[in-house]
Formats: sequence, structure tokens, C-alpha cells
Amino acid sequence: MKKRSLWTSPVLYWACFLLLICTSCSDDDEPIDPIDRYEFVVPENFPQPRYTFDNNPVTEEGFELGKELFYDPILSRDGSVSCNNCHIQATAFADSPIHPLSVGVDNRLGIRNAPSLTNMAFFPEFFWDGGVTHLDFVPINAIEAPFEFDETVENVVAKLNAKEKYKRMFRDAFGIEEITLPFALHALSQFTNMMVSANSKYDQYVRNEGASFSVLELEGMEIFQEKCASCHAGELFTDFSYRNNGLDSTFADTGRNQITALESDIGKFRVPSLRNVALTAPYMHNARFSTLKEVLDHYDDGMVHYETIDEIFVAQDGRLGIDLDENDKEAIITFLNTLTDTEFVRDTLFFRN
Amino acid sequence: MKPFHKILFAFFAISFVSFSACNKDDEDSTKNPGVLSVFFDNKLGDQSISIKDYGDKTFDYMDTDGQEYNISLFAYYISAIELEGPDGIKHLDPLNVSANADEVTGYYHVISTTPNSNVINLKDIEAGTYDKIRFTVGVDESGVQEGAAGGVLDPANGAWFWNWNAGYIGFGVEGNASNSGQEYVDWGNGNETLEGTYAIHVGGWKDVEPEPGEDPKFVNNIKIIELDFDSNIRIEDGLNPEAHINVNFEELLKGIDFSTTYAIHRPDLGKPFAEKLVNVFELDHVHQ
Repeated sequence: MKKRSLWTSPVLYWACFLLLICTSCSDDDEPIDPIDRYEFVVPENFPQPRYTFDNNPVTEEGFELGKELFYDPILSRDGSVSCNNCHIQATAFADSPIHPLSVGVDNRLGIRNAPSLTNMAFFPEFFWDGGVTHLDFVPINAIEAPFEFDETVENVVAKLNAKEKYKRMFRDAFGIEEITLPFALHALSQFTNMMVSANSKYDQYVRNEGASFSVLELEGMEIFQEKCASCHAGELFTDFSYRNNGLDSTFADTGRNQITALESDIGKFRVPSLRNVALTAPYMHNARFSTLKEVLDHYDDGMVHYETIDEIFVAQDGRLGIDLDENDKEAIITFLNTLTDTEFVRDTLFFRN
Repeated sequence: MKPFHKILFAFFAISFVSFSACNKDDEDSTKNPGVLSVFFDNKLGDQSISIKDYGDKTFDYMDTDGQEYNISLFAYYISAIELEGPDGIKHLDPLNVSANADEVTGYYHVISTTPNSNVINLKDIEAGTYDKIRFTVGVDESGVQEGAAGGVLDPANGAWFWNWNAGYIGFGVEGNASNSGQEYVDWGNGNETLEGTYAIHVGGWKDVEPEPGEDPKFVNNIKIIELDFDSNIRIEDGLNPEAHINVNFEELLKGIDFSTTYAIHRPDLGKPFAEKLVNVFELDHVHQ
């Protein structure tokens, strides 16, 4: 795993390639192969990944197998739903706005909005409640949840073993003759781990790669850093904590409490990453808001009280929310739009074969 | 091991001893590594467990509160087994997590539906005298956080795994009880919970120190059991010593009220049962 910036444009790409040839010395002993698109690269401005690459490094064959599984409804009970149903590249692998809540087999409705899969390699915990602590175990939930794929992992393995195509792909990727669940999960993790989105205008700006911010974008970034970044912290725009942000005064879905069983965790959900946030509407775990403006209006004067509400939202006089005027909101939204990574959502690497 | 190798080994061992004057135990260093068979003998009080069908209301056991119950299924993980001797000798059963089932070592799933899964054969143990065994009940953080694993840790291969609060069920027992409060539940697709049954699943592996003034976030129900042998045993090539450990489910279920406690599927609810595991496992005897 090497730490270096992503190639930003074909011109820069070739310029760097020529530079490499001319100088013939790099930081690493191995020469950097500019056409290896299957190498997991940590963007210069990102933290170190959390995934255990030691026992599951990304390879071309493993990635392509993971992609095949991701787009194949064979993982669902009746062959009707794939991962891609709720995680679409055009919306940064979040769900389509027409599915505010996930839709599974037999058109069963889920309880939460499917979040974006970008940058999962850097996440310590998964799902809105953080109940899963390793990326490999995430798909088991989608496969076995009655309102998602409603299938058993045993049956998935049997169905995969019955297909020559998968026998061949697992053999090529992992050298195994009989397909087992952990290798299927490893392949899916390889595909997901490569979903690194780090080439938005914001990234190019912070990495001094030539992008410049408008006055309003700069103003939005300043307001964001002052009023939002304590939770939406760092380059992934989340501190991975679980907080009640005042959506409701009663909770049918108790969120983090379902994992910890603590009353103090009722109504708390993970602070989501804001990368590609302009593409991932609707917002919040329950898809409450359709636009970023609605989200900011909520933080301004829409929050309701419940005893677990995060104290960061409670003013000394007891008033709830974050002070934002209309100009602030416009500026913040303008800034959030710079987090959209157009190159990522159009990257052919993730296209279905 | 072929005779030639034995001779070769002996030659090197002898040379080693003659060159290193400070070897503590000259006798052991000339012996090849041996094995130990550890038997987990599952019991209900002083009876061996007779597995009943799920939903079967013939009870073969009554506790001191007059509750009649039986057992239809049980399973537990034993991992990270260590042996120790009075002279400081130590054996660690190698622990490895891998997607490749053949490379998973040191994790054992004792499960009532798999004959002989209660016998763990430890190999490659340095020759010597041992008087103590230590093991983990469950799969701790180091096993969970390596990600997808094969063999006894593969959920598609019979592993007891919690999807939503991801981790392995360290110790689980299910059965029927005369006064169970469990009502019939149809989960769809042929999955059902029968009336009058019980299920105690003890899981939860995460040990997070709470912030000052904060509640602990996760309950860690992983338990390490340490048992002294009733006599020293010799382990070396050619010997077949055994350790017999009783796993007494009566101790786990002692004091339970099945009318209110019949479905335990969360780490915090399993904690009182996890605390009893130290009494569930007891050494019966060892022999050469």
C-alpha cells in the first residue's frame, strides 16, 4: 500500500509517467505501474485505512469477482435483488432518491436509507448503528435480512458452486476449487475497498492541485468548519460517533441502542460522511429530508427534544440547534457541492462487465 | 516421523545438549513433541446430556426450583488453548484466522450436532511435564477483527454468528422447559420458534473502556478459564495423555426462571450467564 495522490487528469497522468521514466527513481523499490488500476492507494489527504489488507489484498481477479457478485441478484432468495439495487454508482453507491428506504425481495420495505459505500476502507464501523465492525461481515446482513435479500448464506454458497462462471472466477482469484463464504466476502470487500472517492474539487483544492474556490465556497468552508466540523470532522467528514440530532421525540428505530442496549443511546445514529453528499439525497437514517436546504433548516430551527439529544445542539438558554442564517446555508451548500467527485461516479472501473 | 529422521533429530538433540551446558531439563530435550487429547464432557448435573428434539416436552431433568427442562442443542467455542508446567514450560496452541478453512487453527466449535467435536487433539506440544490448562470460551476481538474466516468460523458452515451485532456466539444452549414463557412465533420461510422452548445465546466480544462518567458501550462476554490438573501429566512422543473437563450446563442454568428468561440474544442479557462460565467448566481428571 503506497501513499500518494491520485492521478487527476490524463495530462497530469502522462506527465507524471514521463517524469517517472526520465528520473527512474521513486520513493519505493518497486517501479510504480501507472496502469495498475487494481492497487489500493491511500489518497495523500486521507487517514490510514482500517481494513485488514494483510489477509485480503486487492487483486484484479478478486476485484472483478467482487464486482460480479455485487451486480448479481443471485445473492437474493428469488434472484430479484442485487447489492446494486440500493447502491448505485451514479449516486456514489448510495440508493436512488426514488427509494428513500431500501427495497428488498417481494418489494419489502426496509427501515433505513442505504448510505453511500464510498471510502468504506477507512471506516471503523458500519451501518447507521455501527453494529458491524469489519467490512467483510457487512454483506451477510444484506443477504440474510428478511427485508433485503431474505436468503441464507449457506444457500448463496450452494448457488455459486452450481455456476461454472463462479467456479472459474473463484479459482482465478483465490486458487480454490470449492467456493466458500469467506472468499465471497473477501471478493466483495475488494470491490468495495476500491471505492475510494478522493478527487472532488475540495480534494484538488486542499492538495494544491490547481483547483481554486470561489468566494462563496470559501465562505461556506469557513462556516462549515466553525459550525459543522466538530462532528463532520476530518477528510472523511465524520468523526464516526453516534449522536441524536433532534429528528424525533420518540424512536421506533432506536439506532445505536440496538447494539449497546443502553438507554443513553436511544435515537443515536452514526454521523454520516459528507463526501458526495450532493448526490446522496434523501438525508438522515430515515430519509427525512429531500434536500440539503431542508437539512440545514432542520439544524437551524427544526430540532426536537429527546433526552439523548447531543449536547452540542443545546444552547445555554435551552434553545436547540445551530444558528444559521439564509446566507450561511447557501454558502454551506455551495461548499458541500465541492465534495462531489464526478470522476468517481463515472469511473469505468466500477461499471458492470 | 520416519526412523531416519528420529535418528537425525536425536543426533542434533544430543549435540545440542552436549554443547549447551545450561539446559534445564536434559531428559525432555531428547524427547520429541507429543499430543494431548482434551475431552469436554457435557453434563447436566451428574448425568450426561441426552439431546431431545426441539419442541420435545419429555423432560429428564428437574432443578431445585422444580422447573423441568431438557436440552435440544448446544454449542460453544474453545480457543487460545495454553498448557503450563510446574517448571515454567508453556505451550500455546497456534491461533490463526484465515478465509482458507485449512489455515484456520486454534478455534474449536464444540457442537451437539457434530459427533466428537467435544474432543480436541492438541499436537506438537514440547515434551515435558504439565499441570495446568487455560483456554478462552468464545472468539475474542483478535478472531473477529480479522474479518471473514473459514472452517468453524464460517457462518455458511455452521458457525454461530450474530449478523447485526457482528461476532460469534461464544456459548449457546437451547431446549424445552415446562414453564417457559416462550410463545409460538412464525418468522416466515419455514423459520419458527416453538412454544415452551428456550434459547440462551452468550455473545459479545468488545471491550471498550468507557469515557469517565460514561456507560460502557459494549459488554465483553469472552471468558478465560484456567484449570489446574489433579496430577502432573507427561507429554512426549509415544504417550497419549488425556484431560477430561466437565462442562456442566446445570451451573449455567442454575437460578434461571424460564417463565421470564427464555430468549437471550444480546450481549448485555447474556452477561449474567457469561459470569457463570467459570463454574460451568471444571476439571474432572487427567490420565496418562
